[in-house]
Amino acid sequence: MTTLWDTTGSEVVKALSAERRAAGALAFGLALTLVVVVDEKHVSEAEGAATLAASAHPCRLLIVVRRQIESPHPRLDAEVSIGGRLGPGEAVVMRMSGRLALHAESVVLPLLAPDAPVVTWWHDEPPTRIAYDPLGVFADRRVTDVTATPDPLSALFQRAADFAPGDTDLSWTRLTPWRTLLAAAFDTVSDQPDSAVITTGRANPSAQLFAGWLQNKLDIPVTVEEIGTRPDITKVTVSLGGSELAIARTDSRTAKISRSGYPDRVLPLPSRGVGELLAEELRRLDDDEVFGEALGTWSGLPHLGARSPHREHIWRDPMDKSVTVASTVPPSGSAPQAGATSSAGSTPPVGLSGSTARSDRPAAAPTGPGSAATDTSKAGGA
Amino acid sequence: MAPTVRSNPLRDPRDRRLPRLPDASALVVFGATGDLARKKLIPAVYDLFDRGLLPPGFVLLGFARRDWSDAEFVEFARESAEKGARTPFREEVWDRLAGSIRFLQGSFDDDAAFDRLASTLEDLERTHGIGGNAAFYLSIPPSAFPVVLKQMQRTNLASAQEAGGWRRVVIEKPFGHDLVSARELNALVDDVFTPSGVYRIDHYLGKETVQNLFALRFANNLFEPIWNSQFVDSVQITMAEDVGIGTRAGFYDETGAARDVLQNHLLQLLALTAMEEPVSFGAETIRTEKLKVLRAVSLPTDLARYAVRGQYEQGWLAGERVPGYLDEKDIPPDSRTETFAAVRLGIETRRWAGVPFYLRTGKRLPRRVTEIAIVFKKAPHLPFDQTDTAELGNNQLVIRVQPDEGVTMKFGSKVPGSAMEVRDVAMDFLFGEAFTEALPEAYERLILDVLLGDATLFPNNAEVEESWRIVDPLEEYWANTTPHRYRAGSWGPAAADEMLAADGRRWRRP
Repeated sequence: MTTLWDTTGSEVVKALSAERRAAGALAFGLALTLVVVVDEKHVSEAEGAATLAASAHPCRLLIVVRRQIESPHPRLDAEVSIGGRLGPGEAVVMRMSGRLALHAESVVLPLLAPDAPVVTWWHDEPPTRIAYDPLGVFADRRVTDVTATPDPLSALFQRAADFAPGDTDLSWTRLTPWRTLLAAAFDTVSDQPDSAVITTGRANPSAQLFAGWLQNKLDIPVTVEEIGTRPDITKVTVSLGGSELAIARTDSRTAKISRSGYPDRVLPLPSRGVGELLAEELRRLDDDEVFGEALGTWSGLPHLGARSPHREHIWRDPMDKSVTVASTVPPSGSAPQAGATSSAGSTPPVGLSGSTARSDRPAAAPTGPGSAATDTSKAGGA
Repeated sequence: MAPTVRSNPLRDPRDRRLPRLPDASALVVFGATGDLARKKLIPAVYDLFDRGLLPPGFVLLGFARRDWSDAEFVEFARESAEKGARTPFREEVWDRLAGSIRFLQGSFDDDAAFDRLASTLEDLERTHGIGGNAAFYLSIPPSAFPVVLKQMQRTNLASAQEAGGWRRVVIEKPFGHDLVSARELNALVDDVFTPSGVYRIDHYLGKETVQNLFALRFANNLFEPIWNSQFVDSVQITMAEDVGIGTRAGFYDETGAARDVLQNHLLQLLALTAMEEPVSFGAETIRTEKLKVLRAVSLPTDLARYAVRGQYEQGWLAGERVPGYLDEKDIPPDSRTETFAAVRLGIETRRWAGVPFYLRTGKRLPRRVTEIAIVFKKAPHLPFDQTDTAELGNNQLVIRVQPDEGVTMKFGSKVPGSAMEVRDVAMDFLFGEAFTEALPEAYERLILDVLLGDATLFPNNAEVEESWRIVDPLEEYWANTTPHRYRAGSWGPAAADEMLAADGRRWRRP
């Protein structure tokens, strides 16, 4: 391990190749570079998760901590290690302060593994628009986590408004075990489903994506009921013309599947740590079209998958107050696609709701997609 | 009720996050209290369950002679899962799986026991919703196959139509002991079940690296153009074991290394290495290509030189003194069974004409290793002084099947310095280094494939028979010879080295 205080990007590159030589790893099976963006107070959490993911998928791990942007002196500290505390691969932890934090890409770009895909993961609140962060612009895959924000549902809507193919959110990853169980249960269902109810705690973006996915795939009204204090999804019920299929979480590792006329079954439904979620994200490096469709159906924003996967960096200085104020205003409603949905009548109604109050209403209420989404973001903040 | 025809609206081929789950079904294990079940099958079932890859309606039904209750079998299964599982053993996971485990006591000639088995499967349909689907795993000696299969035929257990689902049978090697017995066995299983319902396990094919051979060859443009006699000098396929015969004395002394390993594992690896590109990645198309290669395999005319077998003598291995084969427990002192076999085969096709395939396997060799080495021809012209390239050997591409799964490429590189000096260097690709823990066990993959009905990784009856056609003449020749001796802990008898030396080559040290 090499630690460099008050250093430069070139010194970090040199230290990394020196470490590689010392480790004898001249031809490393590098499949990708994982860039982790994290705040100082969550560094050890993010390191733990990234280490776990990196042990399943060999990668070069670049952890970027930006701090004290207002500091007058730009400074870079770095720790370079191979096969050390950050897992079996190569890892560089960089702390950038002062104006350098706004130009993190100048240090990171030369460190990317040659011609290998780049995944950028924001451990904490993601940028309002990915294009504001140069570390997201050069990435082939971008992983956010809206549950790290104070208002997850409006943040999720913002992800839809800002969506580009290659984006995913960990709230979607958290849903995989639920989708797996429901899809498996559906393997033997031959009846036509006619509606579904998802029971969850308050403001759970995963439940909203679950609703979007079900609605997209089954073309039925889906209601989200917010009950209880736990944020997790607790139950999903699909009614199949008379009979019913329900999956309910029984404890942190299991769920019970019950279906009218069949014996109940208990199956694993693990709640996974961030490291495992991240490992699932690294398994596939192409864009997740199914996520795009679920997000599109939920938000009511059409054709998310048809957008360009490339972004241009938009310079934005958080120190410049006038810009800051202007850019925090358009999180949801004024996103360009939201206003442009003229075909509201023909798209299936977005029968999801962000609040308990809304769920009393008939799920098929003819709410225009744009307004539903706006409501949702308000409800989440309420 | 036919298997579900309506497609599942929640399944989307683009949705790669959702794993393939098999239909609701029962896995019936005959010989459920045996070694294979304890060491491999039950741990693999636990791992599959823990990874959430078993369907909602799944039952593990053990069948064996011991007079056990469900509870006693569950306890046995629990111990074996705890010891053998790859994923961490967790009590609460186990408790849920335990609810899906049943045991049936019976001997194979007991009509009543099989009637009970049939009625139990019907009950399970009601209580666990297995949908009439069942896979029967015959983890029993081959001598018991006929009686068990006859019983299944009598009770209609093997009939998919009768059950209203699918019925599959899984058998382990040995698939007979020569061509005649293999044909008899195949005729019997294929008759009781349908040929497409028979899954012959060759656990080597379940290994990630072996499947990676498909990716390496057919997903890349880099290797296929040189994968032929114009560029390849020879191919060496090695499967070495450091262990002796363990507790399998009776079985092993009747079988020997050639029948135990060469006939199945080595010939399957040869087929995968030498096969033409299949027209699609499906079970039938891959089997077609493998069968073509096996049919084209030719034996050397000079068997005395190119078919060598050996038997280990006492020696030192990994710092311990180990006894010779003849001193092992329950081995007759005059046994002529081989523990090492090496053979040169040819493949009579345009692609491989003139390229020797050297196959070897043995017990009590210095280390446990399985690998396929493609040795390339030397460059036709070297524009260097002869002394510059004195240390340059043949380029090699080595596929390491186990351990350290991965690929090594060996090529010449300049030694740094003012003189032009070229020496061999190795470039390594490791599937896992610290990552190996994530690689699933071969049995996990294969059991899952059986339940999914994916026969891609299972050899079929024609391949088995074709492999015996290759091995039978070798056995016939060896029947009247005595194996060469080799010291335990060495790389086999000197005759095996002489075999390659006669061709101007030498074995790669794995």
